[in-house]
Order: sequence, then structure tokens, then C-alpha cells
Amino acid sequence: MDLHDLTAAYALDALDPDEAEAYERHLGQCEDCREQLAGLGESAAALAYGVVAPSPPPELRASILDAAAAERTNVVPLLRHRWVARGLGVAAAAVACVVVGLVVASSRSGQRQVFTVVVDRNGSATMSVTGLAAAPQGKTYEAWVIPKKGGARPAGLFHGGPSTSMHLDGRVPPNATIAVTVERAGGVGKPTTTPIFSTPT
Amino acid sequence: MNRQLAHLSDEALVALAARSEQSALAELYDRYGRTAYGLALRILRDQALAEDAVQEAFLTIWRTAARFVPERGKASTWILTLVHRRAVDAVRREQRRRADSLERAAEPTVEGVEEDAWLRLQRERVQAALRNLPDAQREALELAYYGGFSQSELAERLGQPLGTIKSRMFTGLSRLREQLGEPGTEISWTSTT
Repeated sequence: MDLHDLTAAYALDALDPDEAEAYERHLGQCEDCREQLAGLGESAAALAYGVVAPSPPPELRASILDAAAAERTNVVPLLRHRWVARGLGVAAAAVACVVVGLVVASSRSGQRQVFTVVVDRNGSATMSVTGLAAAPQGKTYEAWVIPKKGGARPAGLFHGGPSTSMHLDGRVPPNATIAVTVERAGGVGKPTTTPIFSTPT
Repeated sequence: MNRQLAHLSDEALVALAARSEQSALAELYDRYGRTAYGLALRILRDQALAEDAVQEAFLTIWRTAARFVPERGKASTWILTLVHRRAVDAVRREQRRRADSLERAAEPTVEGVEEDAWLRLQRERVQAALRNLPDAQREALELAYYGGFSQSELAERLGQPLGTIKSRMFTGLSRLREQLGEPGTEISWTSTT
């Protein structure tokens, strides 16, 4: 298969998934194809205007904007350094066996950080973090479980980097909040800084 | 409706969306939502599926706006590409059009739609450019783009070698580009409302 030949089909989304994947890998190494795709992609997108377009139902706009707002709820504590985070619909509604707290935030440098917390029915929790810069020299990231009543409990240390996945120490009680702070290397018993991330479960 | 960002370029709006500015996403929807929905509806032929595809595409815009690189292409191309990809993924997943004939996939749809005047002009322009292509090239583009057929499906269904389908797509898109490419008549956005 000559990957150079696939540019038009790729622009039209007419490749099978494995072909599309191979072409995307090739694209990373082929300046000619990137250039060609820019032009053909624009022509393909122009075809979108070739159909009779009825107005979408008015609810669609609100539905998109509500869903977008729900995804970025926890950007607030990150950017404004507030301790209290508002709940995510997903987490609040979860009475089933798994609770998922998903937070997507952007740092000032534009780096995208994604924190995902999954708590199973027994209170056992896993947190994965992507896009978080490595902790500065002499510092560490520390995860916390904060029960509805009572103080924060240390739940593990990690160093950041492109991708981290960790099991949180101890059980996560119902309605607890999971948070992450930057602390001195070796960790501390109580959080001393404002969380860079927190989510209710 | 609040259109305080109406003076900004698409690319500026994407940059604002990357910084979690919700009104920027709203403005992008107001510019491209109708075209996006029309495209998804054409591919999926089902209102609920079309709405889902548009919603998923705009949430992808919201999530990945920080990765958009203006040097690599226009924001409108990026947005419509995301919408198209979502709709094609869905139509393949649903296998909705598998039972459809090739003819049905190519035919224009929707009668009695009250069309936005600007969008009608754009549609007529694109359709005229398509009509100027040789039949085989137009057919390949329409079945791939509006029908969601892959190149290998097209080769099989049209009874042509894969290489022929590839070259029809390439030549067709290149000619389309020449036809639509006159400076000063660039396709641009319009309001949904």
C-alpha cells in the first residue's frame, strides 16, 4: 500500500480504521502529504456546504453548551485557586457500582491536564492523571481523600509527567472529595497548599 | 441572542474555547451548527443520530481546541472535518446505509426546508462545482463524502479496481479545489439563527 496515495481518501474519511491509522503515522513523517492534505481537506470540507441544511432543533445548542460547561466545572478551582469544587453531574448521579470523576483543565501554558478518578462500590479508587508537569525539585504531588466530615487523609504520592496512574491508599467513603496538592518531597500529613485539582465522588 | 464575539475570527474563537470561554463555543456553534447539522443529517438520515454527531463534534472542539494549529488550516475546515468524521463513524457503526442503494446515498435530500439565503448561495456554488466534474469523479466524491462509503466498499460496489477509485477521488477533489478556489469568494460562516 502506497501511503502517499491515500491523501484524498483520508480527506474524505473514506479509509478503513487501520488504513487511517497507518496514514496518520505516515503524515507525521511526510511534509508533502501534510501539505497536500491541507488543500484537499479544505475542498472536502467545502462539500459540507453542498447539502440543503435545515435548522437544527433549538435544544441542540443548549444541550451542547450544558455538556461543555459540565466538563469544565473544575477548571474553576484550578484557575482561581479555590478549595471548593462543584460536583459533576456524572458523579452526583452515580449510585451504581462505579463513580467517575473526570476533570479536564488547562494550565496557563495551554497544557491540557486530565484527571480521572474511578471509585468502585467498595470504595477502592484509582486516579489517572495526564499532562501534568513533573513536580519541581524537592516537591511531590500528594493525593488526598477528604471525607464529608473530618480532615483530609493522605492517599499517596506521585511525581507527574505525561501520564500517571495510581491506586489511592485506603477506602474512599461515600461523598468524599479527592484532591491533589503540591507538597514537599516525601509528603506531609495535612495539605499545606491549595489543591491543583479536586473533585467530589 | 448574545453575539458579543461576532467580530472575532473563527481561529480567535477556537483559541478562546481552549481557555474555557464558553461564549466562544456558542459563537462557533452559531456560525457552523446549521451546516454541521445539515451535513450530519445528510449522512445519517436520522435526526436523533445527526444531533448526537453534531453534539459530539462540538464537544470534541471544546476538549481539543488547545491542539488546533492555525498554521495548518482554517478553523472552519477543522470543525467541519470533525463533524464529518463523527457522522461517518456513526453511519458505519449503525450500519444504517448498508441496506441503502448507492443511488440513495448520492441523492439530495430534504424538501420544503426553509433555507438560509447565504447558505443557499454556498450550496449552489458547491453543487455547480460538483456538476462540472466528470460523472465518475462526482460519483466517487458524493458516495464517499455524503454516503460514508470507504474506498474499498466503493471499489467493490462500483466494480472498479481500488486504484481507479483512489484516482477518481484525488482528481475529483483537486478539480473541486480549482473550481472553488477563486480568491475573494471563499466560503464563509453564517449565523444559525
